[in-house]
Amino acid sequence: MKNRLFKDILPRVAKPARYAGGEVNMIKKNWAESGIKMVFAFPDVYEIGMSHIGGKILYGLVNEKSSHLMERAFTPWPDMEELLRQENIPLYSLESFTPINQFDVVGCSMQYEMSITNVLNMLDMGDISVLAKDRQENEPFVVAGGPVVFNPEPFADFFDAFMIGDGEELLLEVLDLLEASKGQARMERLVQLAGIEGVYVPALYDCEYHEDGRLKSMKPKINGVPETVNKRLVKDLDEAYYPDKPILPFMEIVHDRAVLEVMRGCQRGCRFCHAGIVYRPVRERSIAILEKQAGAQLKNTGYDEISLASLSTLDYSGVDRLVKDLVCRYGEKGVGVSLPSLRVDAFSIDLANEVQKVRKTTLTLAPEAGTQRLRDVINKNITEEQLYDAVEAAFKSGWRAVKLYFMFGLPTETLEDLDGILDLLWKVKQIGNKYSRRPVELRASLACFVPKAHTPFQWEPQDSREQLEEKRHHMMARKMKNVKLSFHDSPTSMLEGVLARGDRRLGEVIYKAWQYGCKFDGWSEYFKFDQWMRAFAECGIDTDFYTVRSRDYEELFPWDFINTGVTKEYLQLESERAKKAELTPDCRQEGCLGCGICKNMDINLDIKEGLACESEPGIQ
Amino acid sequence: MRIRARYSVGPDLRFLGNFDMMHVMERALRRAGIAYALSEGFNPHIKLSMGTVLPVGIWGKGEFFDLELETGTVEDFVLRINQVLPEGMHVDECREIMDQTPSLMKAVNAAAYTFAINQSLPAVENKVKEILSSSELPVQSRGKKKDKVKDVRPGIFSIRTVLQENALVEITMLVSVNEPLNVRFDELLELLDRFGIDRAEVLDFYRETNYIKKDNKFYSPLEKVS
Repeated sequence: MKNRLFKDILPRVAKPARYAGGEVNMIKKNWAESGIKMVFAFPDVYEIGMSHIGGKILYGLVNEKSSHLMERAFTPWPDMEELLRQENIPLYSLESFTPINQFDVVGCSMQYEMSITNVLNMLDMGDISVLAKDRQENEPFVVAGGPVVFNPEPFADFFDAFMIGDGEELLLEVLDLLEASKGQARMERLVQLAGIEGVYVPALYDCEYHEDGRLKSMKPKINGVPETVNKRLVKDLDEAYYPDKPILPFMEIVHDRAVLEVMRGCQRGCRFCHAGIVYRPVRERSIAILEKQAGAQLKNTGYDEISLASLSTLDYSGVDRLVKDLVCRYGEKGVGVSLPSLRVDAFSIDLANEVQKVRKTTLTLAPEAGTQRLRDVINKNITEEQLYDAVEAAFKSGWRAVKLYFMFGLPTETLEDLDGILDLLWKVKQIGNKYSRRPVELRASLACFVPKAHTPFQWEPQDSREQLEEKRHHMMARKMKNVKLSFHDSPTSMLEGVLARGDRRLGEVIYKAWQYGCKFDGWSEYFKFDQWMRAFAECGIDTDFYTVRSRDYEELFPWDFINTGVTKEYLQLESERAKKAELTPDCRQEGCLGCGICKNMDINLDIKEGLACESEPGIQ
Repeated sequence: MRIRARYSVGPDLRFLGNFDMMHVMERALRRAGIAYALSEGFNPHIKLSMGTVLPVGIWGKGEFFDLELETGTVEDFVLRINQVLPEGMHVDECREIMDQTPSLMKAVNAAAYTFAINQSLPAVENKVKEILSSSELPVQSRGKKKDKVKDVRPGIFSIRTVLQENALVEITMLVSVNEPLNVRFDELLELLDRFGIDRAEVLDFYRETNYIKKDNKFYSPLEKVS
């Protein structure tokens, strides 16, 4: 197969290095001597998939720390797909060029709702039954993990099992069990899998619905299958596996650098933020460990840049010291440090100056909303003053371009809030012009707000496409020189909204949409909105039910059976506070706020480098 | 110290582009802990000059790069870099060169491409004769000047034909590269096709090596360093 690919197929596609494997630090284990064979199937192109930290962790973990084997597959770009289908070559793994249907497990990483059609397409290209119910005894188990599967229901038809939460411990337990149960019937093994904490096997549950379409009940079909699925989490990041020898791609990928995961979770409590809830609580990694990991990764990859990743890196208790240490140790050798996300305050700018002493390109900040009132509603704890201080500090120290992230379509939003975004941009520009002879360049990215499951806004109606378009036109009407506004596509956001709070009845729609050619839905050049709408219409499903409908606190949600550790009561409390534009502080500083995570998951905030106040899981 | 190295790139790595190869080399230098020299300025970079880079789709046995070292010996460099290069890549020969040695980019002007052909020796020999006796060989340019037809005949210096043990016939075409006339491997494939050697009959092809051509003599970049 490899010969044929290299000789006949790869010379005919764009970016053939995507499909050739063989990278430095790739691990190709002995097939016959390995236990369970798993392929990590990322439902997007190589450059995106290879940039994902979770995949790097699981790949190293399975291959280095267990007797099982993990190889990789990514979604072929449509030019490659066409050739593979035309030449009857099944989708294969990059390590051993084995068709993916020869593996015991196909594991999909669900980072984005819209990548589901790529999952279906990859299974189909790999000659694996797309629907879980059609899968035969000899077919792989198709499983999924990642942030999206905290509401797995829309994807229930396609996966045999979901893994909820951190995968470090969970995945190995799953693979061990599959090895121990080899030879038993598929259904038997799935029932056993459902017994592992954190595993959800959708085929083992029945759903009933009210006449108006709301979920009435969701119950296990078999005794012993849990009613509630608890997410899994790693308690101490210092103890968790992290790869010292990540694969070094030959071609340029999106995040082409060494990466340290400084912490997991974020306690800022932005009310729109899905990751902020599902990855609670904050667990940090010690500086000592991080520095060791940095040294090993740089030595094993030869990268010239190291990035400090997390949901909010500037909140890492040791960030200042870590950055200075890294710059001091590696700066002279031409190795840079990068911070992926900046907090909106002057301290962040100081630190950004530290890491980018010379090249000041674009600074990125996320005020999210245009007025103080609306920022209070979403609990984005920054004031107008902090923002202006931050940009002033930035322009003063030589930055010439600033990118600002906003959302529109937020709960309680009025035209005043939208005007507030424009006013804010205007003011930032004025500040910039004070320090620069040439006009500064401002770019604002405006995302349509999509309410997500497990957040305080899970009850909120999403703006309709018409509303969003009206708001967009309103903002576009005011022209400002050197200020560029870019808006997210409202049809895409609408669909994302349907899937984010959807139920398992959507499986039929997804299947149809895929049959109508939908794939790479996250890529605007391939997004086929009309085919999706056709699929909805044919299935008799009204998208409004999932998007613009406002929900009661009493409603049973399809994702309620997943326990993230944060209680629904707390989310409701936060929802009420949002309505009153009341702020909720960060529990690292103010003490326990009773979200439930520490008590429910028998865990504590894990702040490694001091500063944070004691949290008291007792006061709930 | 300035050094020049000859290295090989195996068949599995034939899909790497220009920038990919550059990154591969820079990262290997860092992994090996080579004491390379950095350029001055705001954005210092390794003083590495990949004089010859294989085009995407072809592998090679004799490519060259120049590098400036702060300290160390040629022998130590070869030893260390070979420990970390990706599988399929290898530095085969290396020597010190002078500061004033012209850069590879300027000096290299010829290359040898080898094609393994699944036809009989007499058949191939006939076709080679035909090619060499043509007074002009126009091909569709594949390089920067697309849509232009260029005559590659003056750029074909010689063709060597050898019958291999596996019964394939290998022809090695010595051609001009870079300025003023750049003959590309895909243009040669097109040419072979036109003379009756179908693409499917070319079972393998690679760049044998690169040359500095002066007054009808072909020098290795490792020997012509002044």
